[in-house]
Amino acid sequence: MADRQNGAQSPEQQVRALYEEAETKTAKAFEDLVNRPSFGQLLALSAENTAALTRMAFDGIDLLWRNLRLAGRADIIRLSKQLHRTEDKLERVLQEVETLRDEVARERESVELDATEAPS
Amino acid sequence: MSVIDPFVGAVDRVMKFPVNALEYTNILLTTDDAVVGATPRDVVWTHRQTTLYRYRSPNRRYEVPLLLVFALINRPEIFDLRRGSSLVEFLVGEGFDVFLVDWGYPDEEDAEMGLDEYICDELEWAVRETLRASGAEELTLMGWCIGATLCAMYCGLDRGGGRVPVKNLALLTMPVDGRASNYANWVGDEDFDVDGVSELWGSVPGSAIDFANKLMKPVTNFWTTYRRLWEGVQDGSARREAYQSMAKWVADNPPFAGRAWAQWIHLMYRDGALVRGTVRLRNRVVDLHRIDQSVLVITAGADHIAPRPGTMPFFDLIASEDVDHFARPGGHIGLVAGSAARKELWPSIAQWLAARSDG
Repeated sequence: MADRQNGAQSPEQQVRALYEEAETKTAKAFEDLVNRPSFGQLLALSAENTAALTRMAFDGIDLLWRNLRLAGRADIIRLSKQLHRTEDKLERVLQEVETLRDEVARERESVELDATEAPS
Repeated sequence: MSVIDPFVGAVDRVMKFPVNALEYTNILLTTDDAVVGATPRDVVWTHRQTTLYRYRSPNRRYEVPLLLVFALINRPEIFDLRRGSSLVEFLVGEGFDVFLVDWGYPDEEDAEMGLDEYICDELEWAVRETLRASGAEELTLMGWCIGATLCAMYCGLDRGGGRVPVKNLALLTMPVDGRASNYANWVGDEDFDVDGVSELWGSVPGSAIDFANKLMKPVTNFWTTYRRLWEGVQDGSARREAYQSMAKWVADNPPFAGRAWAQWIHLMYRDGALVRGTVRLRNRVVDLHRIDQSVLVITAGADHIAPRPGTMPFFDLIASEDVDHFARPGGHIGLVAGSAARKELWPSIAQWLAARSDG
């Protein structure tokens, strides 16, 4: 009892402290593990294989779908890319128009300024 | 304290277990209902997946507008997480005219988007639209994570003698040379066919990038977060709103446009191209020596995504004379979005900006 009054921990607090210490050490150990080059190689290989398998699965489904004469993902992507190209052109045209409009406005302002400054 | 107190405590916890379990489950299951990015905003401009937003300040005090640029992974709502914990809300309240670039959700049709498209088109045009909307001649660029690197690259881009309309550059937890970071262990090996993977995937799924990010601190991200929430529920200290808004943001992972992802890995984790000055975007050299704006760099001591040593070479590369470095404790996101940021970091940022934001 005297120990507790002096700031000693209760059994529950001791258990908690032990658990947190264990968790911290485990976390550190896992961080060391994932930072090893061998883990990086494993992850890289997994990413490559997952990407390849995903692609094969999607392509297979898409092939089946398109053979049913339905628009597949590849068709939608192609259409979206065409839309993107059109949007790019439109954006550039809009910027040109805005620049020209700004130039006209500036010229008009300077003409008006000249007119007001000119002696009557 | 009597001998039976621990037993009373244990019985109490057992009795409360069903209620706590329900509360815990409810917090996890209703995370999607959290309101993220609630500050009112207008859409100023859109192009492809990119949207430029404006947060109008009712008491605008500074002439130079502020354009916020977030990373190509995760969503820019971290700038405006929730009421009372929103950097955007804070800056608007301080009188800044705030704009934000949202890169959207790139899909397979955006696989061709590279860093050149993001910097030479999207960011260039977002800057243009910000200046047009605000009526200012110059702006402040504030980037975070990859967004900060994009801002620095934008300012370092060869313009054939023309001047970039950026007055100030604020860069939060910015990676510059990632060759010594943990990521380099994973993707730096030449055996990893980055270009092949990006081509196969088109756009790299956000879930894959999120998984890889979490894997850097697996126990913390997959276990400790949930254990702490459970303890918070048990002792009544769990902050539902704070947890849910952050959890919702963390789980919202847009894909990374394939070409941009591959370019990022090459320049950041393999070649150190930014430091070596060998980055070329549309045949224009990106040279960080061109940066002569007022620069604020903020680094976090416990940042495992953009570790401080990976940012430090930036200071030797730029030509700016007005340079400040806030080296603070904290993590990659928590530094700026954590609960302490509002009292400590945000006022410092606002003070730095205020001194440099009058026409």
